[in-house]
Amino acid sequence: MSNPPRRRDTHALGRRRFLTSIGAAGAMAALGAPSIGRAQAREVKVGYLLPVTGPLAFEAQLALNGLQLAVDEINGAGGVKSLGGARIVLLPGDTQNKVELGNSEAARLIDQGAVALIGPFSSLVAFSVRQVTEKNKTPFLLLATVADNVLEGGLHYTFRMQPNARAMATLTLGNMSEMAKNSGLAVKRVAIMHEDGNFGTTMGNYVEAFAAKMSYEVVQRVPYNLRSPDFTAELSKVKAARPDLLVISGYYGDSKLIAETAAKLRIGVNALVGLANAAYSNPKFIAENRELTDLLFDGNYWHNPQSARARAVFEAYQKKYNSIMSNHGVQGYQVMFVLRDSLERAGSTDREKVRDAIAKTNLTDHILTQDAIRFDDTGENVNATPALLQVQGGKPVVVGPARFQEAKPVFPVPKWKG
Amino acid sequence: MTWLFFQAVVSGLLLGGVYGLVASGLSLIFGVLRIINFAHGAVMMLAMYTSYWLFVLLGVDPYLSILVTAPLFFALGVVIQRVIIEPNRAAAEHNQLLLTLGVALFLENLALVLWQGDFRTLRVSYSGASFMVGDVLVEVPRLIAAGGAVLVGLGLWGFLRTTDVGKAIRALSEEPEGARLVGIDVARIRGVAFGIGSACVAVAGALITPFFYVAPDVGESFNIMAFVVVVLGGMGNFLGALAGGFIVGLAESLGAAFLPGSLKQLVVFGLFVIVLLFRPEGLFGVRRGR
Amino acid sequence: MAARLLGALAVVGLVGLPPLLPKYALEVLITILFFGYLGACWNILGGYGGQFSFGHAAFFGIGAYTSTLLLLHWGLSPWLGMVAGGGLACAFGLLAGYLSFRYGLRGPYFSLVTLAFAEMLRVVAVNWKAVGSSLGLVVPSRGSAPGMFVFAEKLPYYYVILTMALGAAWVTRAIERSRMGYALAAVRENEDAAEAAGVDALSTKLAAMAVSSFLTALGGTFYAQYFAYIDPSLTFGPAISIGGLLPAIVGGAGTVAGPLLGSFVLTPISELTRAVLRGRGGADIMLYGLVLILVISFLPNGLVGWLRSRRAPPGGAA
Repeated sequence: MSNPPRRRDTHALGRRRFLTSIGAAGAMAALGAPSIGRAQAREVKVGYLLPVTGPLAFEAQLALNGLQLAVDEINGAGGVKSLGGARIVLLPGDTQNKVELGNSEAARLIDQGAVALIGPFSSLVAFSVRQVTEKNKTPFLLLATVADNVLEGGLHYTFRMQPNARAMATLTLGNMSEMAKNSGLAVKRVAIMHEDGNFGTTMGNYVEAFAAKMSYEVVQRVPYNLRSPDFTAELSKVKAARPDLLVISGYYGDSKLIAETAAKLRIGVNALVGLANAAYSNPKFIAENRELTDLLFDGNYWHNPQSARARAVFEAYQKKYNSIMSNHGVQGYQVMFVLRDSLERAGSTDREKVRDAIAKTNLTDHILTQDAIRFDDTGENVNATPALLQVQGGKPVVVGPARFQEAKPVFPVPKWKG
Repeated sequence: MTWLFFQAVVSGLLLGGVYGLVASGLSLIFGVLRIINFAHGAVMMLAMYTSYWLFVLLGVDPYLSILVTAPLFFALGVVIQRVIIEPNRAAAEHNQLLLTLGVALFLENLALVLWQGDFRTLRVSYSGASFMVGDVLVEVPRLIAAGGAVLVGLGLWGFLRTTDVGKAIRALSEEPEGARLVGIDVARIRGVAFGIGSACVAVAGALITPFFYVAPDVGESFNIMAFVVVVLGGMGNFLGALAGGFIVGLAESLGAAFLPGSLKQLVVFGLFVIVLLFRPEGLFGVRRGR
Repeated sequence: MAARLLGALAVVGLVGLPPLLPKYALEVLITILFFGYLGACWNILGGYGGQFSFGHAAFFGIGAYTSTLLLLHWGLSPWLGMVAGGGLACAFGLLAGYLSFRYGLRGPYFSLVTLAFAEMLRVVAVNWKAVGSSLGLVVPSRGSAPGMFVFAEKLPYYYVILTMALGAAWVTRAIERSRMGYALAAVRENEDAAEAAGVDALSTKLAAMAVSSFLTALGGTFYAQYFAYIDPSLTFGPAISIGGLLPAIVGGAGTVAGPLLGSFVLTPISELTRAVLRGRGGADIMLYGLVLILVISFLPNGLVGWLRSRRAPPGGAA
């Protein structure tokens, strides 16, 4: 038995195994290493964290288009003036809609020198990202993240431009009540169906919480598992409660199934209203389901149809991407301009200074349905207002609040009335 | 309230028919191979994508696509069994379980890589068809799916009873040693069983595409339901799985109609645990040595 | 022995290098150690005991929720809450284990029932307002409060999980060499024969369950403190259950180094795959599936088993 050769093998194997781990760690370090040798004064790096691949890929791409459009517009007009005309450079981050990737991608982008991070859609992913940004003192601008408690806990570096869940729920119901009153009807009996995750449950909670204040009764609240292949039983439960309004907070597949089944069951409500619904004002959903989506309502973040600038931006988007700008694109576009505005005022790429500038934002030149963009101490946009949309003629139009209205609402909607 | 009850019963039975077909394939695989196939739902998902693409690219009606997908996924099932599972037949039971888990992870994410994660739906002329029986809604595609599932299930049961291959499968399932001793090519039969199980789930997938979306994770919920149904109906009990499907579909639907919140899932899992603990041979199974 | 020397070197590296690493690498290392830890906990029941649980997330979630609720309602330090969570998870594990083992559930049946238990806990948490339901629980994490398991930097968290991972390995080794370890091995190899030889299979398996569930729950508290947010899907979900057993299987179930080694191999594979195949989301998990199949087929004793067999001389003691 010749032992020495075997021992050599052992060493070689062991060393190889060890080196492989070290090599892998080294490769990872290289991937995350901050880029050196770049003329940092001429470039401002902004990282984005979006679910570019995975179930939300389509919507993420729309948001990315908006971001890119804004970046091109800013750079085309001479970059950030107070930084000597520095160009904005987008650093990509793909979260795949996964929590652990939100974490590691955020760390990686910060390593690469991102001045601020934008993203990440899913509230769950936002929770893991905000840990990284807080501990690394980097400004984090939320995009399409609606859960209220994402800003809970005294965060210093996280800001949300869009309406949060509370605003979405209360203002949308307020708009619906207003609209119903104008049609000679009242919203008295509300049923809400929501997916049983954070997003849906938050919406459900607010609809219930504001019942007394807005003098309606929640006659049925139905949380559901969004993977369910059948909602007939749930919708029957709703129908049995005889609501006059059905509110739905869900994602794409489930919202579609619910709308279809509700129509077949002749649910008997005055209207079907999405609450920050992922499907009801989604261009793809509408294009693929013309008949079903006709006259659906949705309370969602949107652009201001009365704004000349918004119209110009829409045209630019159409020209560049050959499609209609969605509300995700609007979010992407606008949030980049909020950042640009802050960079101008900060006059520096120092993250602390940029953070302070964001906190002092008072931006009136924007394309959203709201007054000036301003953030409160917790990072929420105080004036954020959702629009009330209705699908008319194959596209969502703003029917409320009144000052942004671009078309009159159709209410009640005959096909839901049964 | 009675209307609600009857509606829930009808919807539950319709969905339960599909659960039954999915589960009977799983049950067959378990009966013959003694493994719990974690990749069952993933195969169903792939079959649904196949039906979808056949429709979108070639205009093939999803029900007709069964003529293509059933043999195709039978073949895939045989290949998976012969290439991945058969060589490891002697391995510990739990290792074989992990093999199917590996296949599931691979297939689900293959779909994600190839076709992204968006929901895809196909619309046929009868996708929206429905009628009322009194106050109870019956959706035509769901009715066809349930009916088709039961037909296929019964047809398969007949196949198992009457054909040589079917008898060999049953022999292997009930008495592995004896089957080998009488000269049955057990390796081939194992492959065939896995193939049939996969074909079942492919048919079930095609049957639901007219009313359910297609996405990489669409098999997951059916996977879990299939486990519950198989345990309820008795592992290896083909007809038991068909019957169990209806029971689970009913339980789920009634739970959705009468329980608060999304607790219907608790009903299904509770049933699962209770049967596993107190009657592991299933409601229809025969107690045998594990 | 060369393995011991390498092990020591690895530990030195793990202790000394991290302060020098960029943030991303540190995150990845924490992830590796976290799943290595979970794998080691699972391994005690799964690899050593032969009882493959597919629902270890149940214990993880109990740990995370217990320490967090105690913190939020009574201001109890998570260091103490951790122990409480472990105790509660242990009790649940013993109950679930007793029911399962007493009613003779083995092999795939046991795997399925554990899967069901984890899912049931998830559904309960989703529908229970008092524990936050789907909104989850936000864990206070501002500033620095080491006594409350809150650190301003990431590095201290790294050392915590490193300690936990090494601790789990140490516990595993202690069990392996003890009477319990021998009993477990006997039960794992052939439960009926072990019973015939006088081993009380039920209490042996329950002992393994107790240790495994207790330790897994500690991981839940770490997660809660590190990510500062928990919800039912994150803590009771299959990602945790699968994420724990995968490194253990790949590295070598039933070995001390297996779970950590498995994690050190799997996590970088995932990270590199994603870096190389940007825009092809899911490719990394695809690879996991493939690795799992290959390991089971060709390295049924995992990487550790393979390395050991390479070292063993033919027909002689190593």
